[in-house]
Amino acid sequence: MTGLDWVVLFITLTVIVGYGLYRSRGSNTVDRFLLAGKTMPWYAMALSIMATQASAVTFISTTGQAYTDGMRFVQFYFGLPIAMVILCATVVPVFHRAKVFTAYEYLEQRFDSKTRALASIIFLCQRGLSAGLTLYAPAIVLSVILGWPERATIFLMGVTVITYTTLGGVKAVTWSDVQQMIIIFVGLVIALVTLIHMMPASLSLPDALYLAGAAGRLNAVTTTFNWDDRFTLWSGLIGGTFLFLSYFGCDQSQVQRYLTGKSIGQSRESLIFNAVAKIPMQFFILFIGAMVFVFHLFVAPPVLFERAVLDRMQHTAAFQPVQEHYQSAFDRRREAAQRLIEAHHSGDGPGEQQQASSYRAAQRDLDAARKEASKLVESTTGEKDFDDTNYIFLSFVTRYLPAGLVGLIIAVIFAATMSASAGEINSLATVTMIDLYRRYFRKGATDHHYLMASRWATVFWGAYAVIFAGWGRKLGSLIVAVNVVGSLFYGSLLGVFVLAFFFRHVRGTAAFFGMLAGEAAIFWAFFFTGISFLWYNVIGCVVVILTALTITHGMGPQKAGGEAITDARA
Amino acid sequence: MPEIRDVRDEPPPFLGTWRRVYTAVLVYLALIITACYLFTRAWQ
Repeated sequence: MTGLDWVVLFITLTVIVGYGLYRSRGSNTVDRFLLAGKTMPWYAMALSIMATQASAVTFISTTGQAYTDGMRFVQFYFGLPIAMVILCATVVPVFHRAKVFTAYEYLEQRFDSKTRALASIIFLCQRGLSAGLTLYAPAIVLSVILGWPERATIFLMGVTVITYTTLGGVKAVTWSDVQQMIIIFVGLVIALVTLIHMMPASLSLPDALYLAGAAGRLNAVTTTFNWDDRFTLWSGLIGGTFLFLSYFGCDQSQVQRYLTGKSIGQSRESLIFNAVAKIPMQFFILFIGAMVFVFHLFVAPPVLFERAVLDRMQHTAAFQPVQEHYQSAFDRRREAAQRLIEAHHSGDGPGEQQQASSYRAAQRDLDAARKEASKLVESTTGEKDFDDTNYIFLSFVTRYLPAGLVGLIIAVIFAATMSASAGEINSLATVTMIDLYRRYFRKGATDHHYLMASRWATVFWGAYAVIFAGWGRKLGSLIVAVNVVGSLFYGSLLGVFVLAFFFRHVRGTAAFFGMLAGEAAIFWAFFFTGISFLWYNVIGCVVVILTALTITHGMGPQKAGGEAITDARA
Repeated sequence: MPEIRDVRDEPPPFLGTWRRVYTAVLVYLALIITACYLFTRAWQ
């Protein structure tokens, strides 16, 4: 990074945090600190929802995924508009009218205290585990790119997030998110325009698309059905709908964003905006990755994108032949790409088919050389499943983009990390304070007492995330496990909310045991089947509903609950 | 602790009713999936 990059990075981050704090003045009551006094306009909530969901990994991993595997990942988001419509019609008005701080508070109104407590604890476990990862995953990549120690990067991001989240509450988080999303949009658009501008002069945009498509990098839709394939049209539409219903309807980190709306309509508009904008945005990010692939058809990419590992490997004798294989494979692929374009332009059908086959064969050879290099890294360093996909985009940024723009893109990654982390910490603090502290430990205290408790809870969860992230490397494979574990809880949460909204005769005890059964089913699927994680939400949700209905039917509605139904819709 | 204030419901800023907005979103989804499918086919 040049001096100009550092200036751009520093100014961008200062403006984001400063503006967030400026807009959060007056967050001096619990209502204002946790719900912004219900004053937020739709566009602020909309961008905040988007920013909270899009962590840094979304940008660095998604682009890398398009480079290596194509654009199939976009299908993951096909269920999102359906989920948003369902949530706008059901959850949003009910939560607003119930006057709740958290989604789980509503469960006590509808069922009973034990169901609320179980849902709150499930949320704290799940979101608490991922809070450290949100900081840790991008910090590893940024540390390699910036040459900083990992803990320094984690500490810098963590302390910044804790400061503005503790001082300004949800208002600071939301307004910072707005700035962060604007920076992210601007940074990515400039990156794509620059990338296209850097392509060889003889290569038009349709040519670039043709070469990316011929290598399978523009495969946005896969219509085949396969339980084990994460990204197909069907897993996106069915599994994705359930996942996004869970995430936006039952996860406090998202629910809290739209509970700050100044009207039910404004909250709905914020979700509708995401329903419309999310798929094009993901398509755009993936398209950048596909264009990086085309750029590297003509400019040799490094055999390993993680520069520190590459530098280390280059000093080993065994790496030399791998490097030579990679270089010759790259030369063959570049020539094949040029011949394919010529055949395409000449309109020679059979010749084009033949050149396309040679081009794909050259790509396979290049992939094999990269795999060989990865195997060598694993055998030399002892690292298991070495994968440098997350370094592809930032490697391109730091090697080829002009000064100033590099600083802006690094600021994008910082911004994405901070926005996702702030949303998590803010929601963890809210559930801790409202659903546990105020409910079980200190009832009837003053507003000021709960405001201070909220601030201390924010500091606690922020410090926890920083410490967890700081020890990330020592945890090794556990980190990977934790990432998977995060996806194991949504199904049962979704199931209990579906019961709450659509099965009026089901009472608390049935819902409580339904949740436990749902969790058991998800863990069974995780440990004993090869089913893709997207389907866990469907399985968990269905088991919760069936179990609760069976208990209700078996015991009768009077015995299966206890408390009378208090439906907030009434 | 003071109670959270009431918020009002209101019609959408376009299309008149929320039901129409939801229908428009689902039609948009169908169109965007079709567009992605055609994009895949065009550059395969």
